[in-house]
Amino acid sequence: MSEQQQRYKLHWITAIIEMLKTLKEAILPLVVLIFANGWKGGGTGLWYVDYLSFIIFGVLIISLFVSGIIKWKRFEYWFEDDELRIESGLFVKKKRYIPFDRIQSLDYTEGIFHRPFGLVKVKVETAGSSSAKQAEGELTAVTKEAAKRVEIEMAEAKKRQKEMPVVAEGEATNLIAEIPVEEESAHRKIFTMTTKDLLVLATTSGGVGVILSGAAIFLSQFGELLPFEWMFEEISAFIRFGVLIVAIAVFLGLLGVWILSVGMTLLSHYNFTIELDKEDIVITRGLLEKKKVTVPLKRIQSVVVVENPFRKLFGYATIAIHSAGGSVGQSSKINLFPIVKRGKVEAYLEEIFPDLHVEEPTKKLTVKGRPFYYRIDFVWMLPVIGALTYFFFPYGLFSLAIIPVIIAYGMWQHRSAAYDIAGNQLTMRFRTFSLQTAYMMKKRIQSMEMKQSYFHRRKGVASVIANIKSGMGVYHATVQHMDVEEAEKILLWYEKSKSVRE
Amino acid sequence: MRAQPANRISKKGLKVWRLYGWIQTIILALVAIGGGVLVYIFDWPRWIYPLEAVVLLLFAYFIIILFPKVRWMRWRYEVRESEIELQHGLFIVKRTLIPMVRVQHVDTSQGPILRKYGLAEISISTAATVHTIPALIMGEADELRGRISVLARVAEDDV
Repeated sequence: MSEQQQRYKLHWITAIIEMLKTLKEAILPLVVLIFANGWKGGGTGLWYVDYLSFIIFGVLIISLFVSGIIKWKRFEYWFEDDELRIESGLFVKKKRYIPFDRIQSLDYTEGIFHRPFGLVKVKVETAGSSSAKQAEGELTAVTKEAAKRVEIEMAEAKKRQKEMPVVAEGEATNLIAEIPVEEESAHRKIFTMTTKDLLVLATTSGGVGVILSGAAIFLSQFGELLPFEWMFEEISAFIRFGVLIVAIAVFLGLLGVWILSVGMTLLSHYNFTIELDKEDIVITRGLLEKKKVTVPLKRIQSVVVVENPFRKLFGYATIAIHSAGGSVGQSSKINLFPIVKRGKVEAYLEEIFPDLHVEEPTKKLTVKGRPFYYRIDFVWMLPVIGALTYFFFPYGLFSLAIIPVIIAYGMWQHRSAAYDIAGNQLTMRFRTFSLQTAYMMKKRIQSMEMKQSYFHRRKGVASVIANIKSGMGVYHATVQHMDVEEAEKILLWYEKSKSVRE
Repeated sequence: MRAQPANRISKKGLKVWRLYGWIQTIILALVAIGGGVLVYIFDWPRWIYPLEAVVLLLFAYFIIILFPKVRWMRWRYEVRESEIELQHGLFIVKRTLIPMVRVQHVDTSQGPILRKYGLAEISISTAATVHTIPALIMGEADELRGRISVLARVAEDDV
């Protein structure tokens, strides 16, 4: 079987992409170097000292370019023995053989360098990806035909493996005849995000928080470098202009950050489409960088409907899925529907997951557990209030207002919590800030826990936690402070795994 | 009310935890002595001495006598044909249920202290979580590991 196969190379643009990638990683030290060296201006008479940083910069660019070219030249891939084989490296030769039946999915990305040449980046994802950051195999830039060829080779290899036992049974003829008919996979379009949805998603995106915290981190990093005394004088002058101007400046800053985040979401989620293949979900999105992610249906561990209170105002919700294996890099939670009309959630879920019971969980908690939702908060709240009152005497008393807020929040969480068991499926609903409804099949729950503190036992309540595999980690679905009898019922349902299984 | 799992961990586990408690207490005592020296050198108030002593004694009582005892009383496990059940916890009692079909692999491991007492701990891994039974007699742990791996192999894997 191991006749010499044709070996393929990547597109030459790989060299440039590799170079830019390394450059991007090295950009911070470079900037530091230039600032430290470059802008002195004063001539020492020796030209190579004056232009040292530029020389270093130039040498670096050239060496990166050369290494990019070498990387591209030495990279080869081919198909042999039902494996995808990759060979790379100049001094240390790296060979990586990936059996086709271990490949979970192929993800495509089209960056700005790929678009003009009709190329794609292919990421090969296997079940046991060793590290989350690096995909097991990556073809940096190949033509679309070449990408198709990988897919075809993979499909053929999988088919061959399926045939093997059948041939042994001697029924080969009629089955082989059937398979090619099946082979053409029928893509079914499920969902396309409308422009209006996209706008709502962008404007309410949590990206704002991310960018804000990023700015805060940046500021805290450079906090020591800033001349505070000088700034203090400036600011006090600033304040004389009036609080209004300060407020406007802050507001404009926030607005700018927000617009940036809206723009980024618009670019990354432009033309968001979900398609259903035979046994995969295919997500396509992006304007400048086009991304195509494939999630095998049988790898999906649980479906979670997330209802953010702000988005709920507009009548929208999010559907996320947890998948085994790191098919989307670090995060194993994939926002299948980043934004969708709340009323349509059930219809979409039924279409993609016909086995799922998508009814709302109906069993609510009794009042027994309610105090536990806010009682623990008093542990940190009372000292804080005490301290505030002591140090800022009259105004510190305002901190008492936090008590009703905490209690209301706790009662809100208690009211939202619910669960239900339908056949082999457990549904758990709980609120952090957003309301999460997790739909889990029994065979996808890795283990379950029931937790009871001393106070829980006195009141007869318990918390139940279901552990779901999510990429390389765990997703905990939990209903807290429920009646202990009900909690035991859930455990009992889980325990009878043997008799009820399929 | 759900019945408790049947098996306790080895009584020797209690000794090991007490030993850990002693080690922690000794470390804290060294810190306290260091503090005492500082008090002496810098002439800080004298009442720090009795305070240190009281804190140290309380710490020793909790971590050497009370906590290991409660923890040991609480720790129970049971390996049945189709699932493993654990119960443990000091303040919060945690009961964990692991179906045999979900078990991916079982390890036993042994540090120097555990080896001295002829003990081993056993870790049960599912695709997402790891659960540890901390102190079992070595032979028992090996036997249990074998049993779990046989039971787990019977069930097919479908993650």
